[in-house]
Amino acid sequence: MNEETIRARIAPLEDYIMKHCLWQFHSREWDRVRQNEGILSKAKQLLCEEPVAKDTPEDRCYWVDALALTEAFQKRFAWLKEMDKESIEVLMHALKERIDFVTITGSLNKELTSPRY
Amino acid sequence: MPYHEFECSTCIPERKSHAVLKGEEDDLTTCLPEGHLATIPGTISERGCAYCGAKHVIGTPMKDAIHMSHGPVGCTYDTWQTKRYISDNDNFQLKYTHATDMKETHVVFGGMDLLKKNMIEAFKAHPEINRMTVYQTCASALIGDDMEAMAREVMKELPGTDIFVCNAPGFGGPSQSGGHHKINISWINEKVGTVEPKITSDYVINYVGDYNIQGDCEVMCDFFKRMGIQVLSTFTGNGSYDELRGMHRAHLNVLECARSAEYICNELRVKYGIPRLDIDGFGFGPLSESLMKVARFFGLEDRAQAIIDEEVARWKPELDWYKKRLTGVKVCLWPGGSKLWHWANAIHEEMGVEVVSLYTKFGHQGDMEKGIARAEVGTLAIDDPNELEGLEAMRMMKPDVIFTGVRPGEVAKKQRIQYLNAHAYHNGPYKGFEGWVRFARDIYNAHYSPIHQLSGIDISKDDFNIDKGFMTRQMISDVKLTPEEAHVEGETPYTGEFDCVTPLRTKTYPSELTRSTTAQAV
Amino acid sequence: MSCDLRAKERSGIINPIFTCQPCGAQYVSIGIKDCIAIVHGGQGCVMFVRMLFAQHFKDNFDIASSSLHEDSAVFGATGRVETAVDVLLARYPHVRVIPIITTCSTEIIGDDIEGVINKLNNGLLKEKYAGREVHLVPVHTPSFKGSMISGYDVAVESLVKAFAEQTTPNGKINLITGWVNPGDVTALKHLLAMMQIDATVLFEIESFDSPLMPDKSGVSHGETTVEDLKDTANAVGTIALNRYEGGKAAKYLEKKFKVPSVIGPSPIGIRNTDTFLKQLQTMSGKPIPEALVKERGIAIDAITDLAHMFFADKRVAIFGAPDLVISLAEFCIDMEMKPVLLLLGDDNSGYKKDDRIKALQANVDWDMEIIMNADLWELDDRIKNKGLKLDLIMGHSKGRWAAIDNHIPMVRVGFPTYDRAGLYRHPVVGYAGAIWLAEEIANTLFTDMEYKRNKEWLLNVW
Repeated sequence: MNEETIRARIAPLEDYIMKHCLWQFHSREWDRVRQNEGILSKAKQLLCEEPVAKDTPEDRCYWVDALALTEAFQKRFAWLKEMDKESIEVLMHALKERIDFVTITGSLNKELTSPRY
Repeated sequence: MPYHEFECSTCIPERKSHAVLKGEEDDLTTCLPEGHLATIPGTISERGCAYCGAKHVIGTPMKDAIHMSHGPVGCTYDTWQTKRYISDNDNFQLKYTHATDMKETHVVFGGMDLLKKNMIEAFKAHPEINRMTVYQTCASALIGDDMEAMAREVMKELPGTDIFVCNAPGFGGPSQSGGHHKINISWINEKVGTVEPKITSDYVINYVGDYNIQGDCEVMCDFFKRMGIQVLSTFTGNGSYDELRGMHRAHLNVLECARSAEYICNELRVKYGIPRLDIDGFGFGPLSESLMKVARFFGLEDRAQAIIDEEVARWKPELDWYKKRLTGVKVCLWPGGSKLWHWANAIHEEMGVEVVSLYTKFGHQGDMEKGIARAEVGTLAIDDPNELEGLEAMRMMKPDVIFTGVRPGEVAKKQRIQYLNAHAYHNGPYKGFEGWVRFARDIYNAHYSPIHQLSGIDISKDDFNIDKGFMTRQMISDVKLTPEEAHVEGETPYTGEFDCVTPLRTKTYPSELTRSTTAQAV
Repeated sequence: MSCDLRAKERSGIINPIFTCQPCGAQYVSIGIKDCIAIVHGGQGCVMFVRMLFAQHFKDNFDIASSSLHEDSAVFGATGRVETAVDVLLARYPHVRVIPIITTCSTEIIGDDIEGVINKLNNGLLKEKYAGREVHLVPVHTPSFKGSMISGYDVAVESLVKAFAEQTTPNGKINLITGWVNPGDVTALKHLLAMMQIDATVLFEIESFDSPLMPDKSGVSHGETTVEDLKDTANAVGTIALNRYEGGKAAKYLEKKFKVPSVIGPSPIGIRNTDTFLKQLQTMSGKPIPEALVKERGIAIDAITDLAHMFFADKRVAIFGAPDLVISLAEFCIDMEMKPVLLLLGDDNSGYKKDDRIKALQANVDWDMEIIMNADLWELDDRIKNKGLKLDLIMGHSKGRWAAIDNHIPMVRVGFPTYDRAGLYRHPVVGYAGAIWLAEEIANTLFTDMEYKRNKEWLLNVW
């Protein structure tokens, strides 16, 4: 998968997350780091049919969001089914980087780093 | 940054960074207005105060407590009977409000004795109620009355009573939001963990950030109960004081309005390890997904699926009837905070309306991130709007309908723009599947109102038709549809009742649903 | 048989009848043309009052805030008034009058409003707004004194004081209406027109009931001008219809400019309207025309159909603005009803000395209570827990639950009346108001009889 394909495929995934999800918008940076990591890594595992930890309440909570996300992806983007695990892994890694950028590192939200609420 | 400068605000340059027009190439790293900053005096901003955010928005929906404000009478009067947060105990919280009635002598000599007398009198007036919330106001904060000390004294003198003190004076922060924060933190610090709740199910949640506007919260709790889930507390719509003291025993916090109530969920996560799950109770898709997430957390997906199937089958044809007729209708989504993101995409996808502008009175940048993320290209997003900017935005965006509050709604009316009450709703509830159809119906009824059509005719100048004695809404709306589109088997306008909430209160739920059959309960 | 006058015994308020002073001042401000007030305090002090007005009138009114935040509470906030005045003037070129209305917080902080106005007059207004006529008027309405009623009174006085200027006699009568509705102003102006009297009406608020226009030009705002206010010093006399809402200004004009004043009674009911006309006659020297005899006759004709058949001995509780409550009680008595409970909702000690209350105390021949500094619990508690029997409640919308929960019919009257449609459009003053009140009472009782199946057959023949 070349970079252009990745970019082209990430765009609708990102659009879906932005329009339908809330988990990426917790109010502080440290929390967004945690949320993006928790949910997107589980989403990758689900798409790659890897085992997903869901023993702790925290893990379970991430898992339900991740599952909702991957189901929506699979329903909307037929090309996901055609992709092999390796490519999915690459794609999801790039997606996470993009979401981290939009919601954390590139975010214009000045409250993200505020030590108080 | 695609800032939008209003002509009316060129003389206050700091306003420029409070509005953006989302462009084709924009994302959140290029397009986000300022938020939650001090209000510019004299702009005729629509913001309220922190006292209102604490007392009026979050405190008072609690249904079984006496709500008392320590200060002059105005704060109490003004925040009484201006909301539609109902409850299943005959609306005690809507009917009764208490002011200590601080006068000049108390300002000079202190108001602590006055407060104490008031608390005792209030408990005496309502012998059936032994819980109380007391709110600081600007006046009592400035004179420095120690309200906690008085509350402790009264609790000692009147065993069996419990009093919660909230110190969120009106001037505390740029808007209502400061009060949301203070009451969240005070509640978790002072009250959560002081009652051990009765656990009646293997699946236990707190439903947080819903204020039971026209019954929203009760509609949502019905879904949870149908799945066998115990709703330990509702923060705070239709909420019970003692149930909210037991929030720490839930397995999951299900959060709706993250603007007003994320704080308590975050604290519950830190202090008690209860995860926070943000959901959307508005819209068929978001609601279905939300119910499924909650269900999955407990391994109850079959139950959620059954509910979703039943509800969608019952109400989808009616939503479709409206969607067809609402497609392309332009709306301004101008609420207080969370609805701008709850609704922005759902009304677009599921009702076909075009959201041309968003605004938030008391939202932070995080709310605008969610709103702008969910809005389409070309949307004008405004933080802390004021009167003139609102009018300019209306002229610029030419919306058909505006979702906003009572007073701004009257401004829109004069501009010949229909309005729906985004805070209290016109004919809610709007949550739930049926509620979503009710929302669509309200938008339809506003947009296709025959009187609205007549309001544009200048009988002194226009050449108007006199061939009709009346117009039905459908005569207006269906002009743009082919007969095949207009008449689809099963699709009808809303067929529900005027009151769809009261019947929920006498429903019973099978208790066997509350027990997990496997050992894998959470 | 007695009329018992006393203050509420509890220290606090359960369900208030009134809000605080700044609201009254804001109500006055929206009656003045080219005027936007700045309320110096927290944002809620404005936001909720605007909402209250919007609820009552189903229309928008513009009032600004100095948006007091935490830092101002600590360090003082006159700077925010300066910014507010500048921003308001820059963005609203038509504004000529800016009342600066204080609240509890800014009075406690001790902000020097006169000082800041002085500073602005000599600085900002001279420099940035040179050549523009702008009047900054201090209105002190700390929320911990009086109520919205006294706030109204204080604001009318402050504005009259700020503007009244003796030049040449204008031959007009000053009519200070008090806190009334657009429908009342229409009715009052009608009576003045019939008497051929030229009057300065404070405040011209008929336009609060504004149209939705095809060209979107409709706007709700009062129309009393700066010139009208200035000219009040040159009138032949002042009639303040309500003692507690405008009486202060009438007294000021009398004391300062020798403009004779008559204060009250509010022209509610036949008898009080007769009195009002007589006052106008005395002050203007003009006769009461025959056309008003006819109008009065229509009102009496309508009431005659109702009073002894349906109203006699009906027990009524009335709450709200003191002048309104007293006048309504008087009218009810004329219509053979029995007001048994009057609630006056603030701590004004003047009520005890009010002649109208003294007359009730001296003459009422059934048991009647008048509670001062009252709240709505005084009503609710008596009905729920103390056996008070009522046939009718009269008052504003905030008392709606006392009626609903206790199944007592209620006529909405006063301010605010947001839970009934369009009441601001109807007068309670004058003969027209007498008709409206009598028929509203009758129809409310009739609906209740039918709803409760309480001798509903009576109306088969009427």
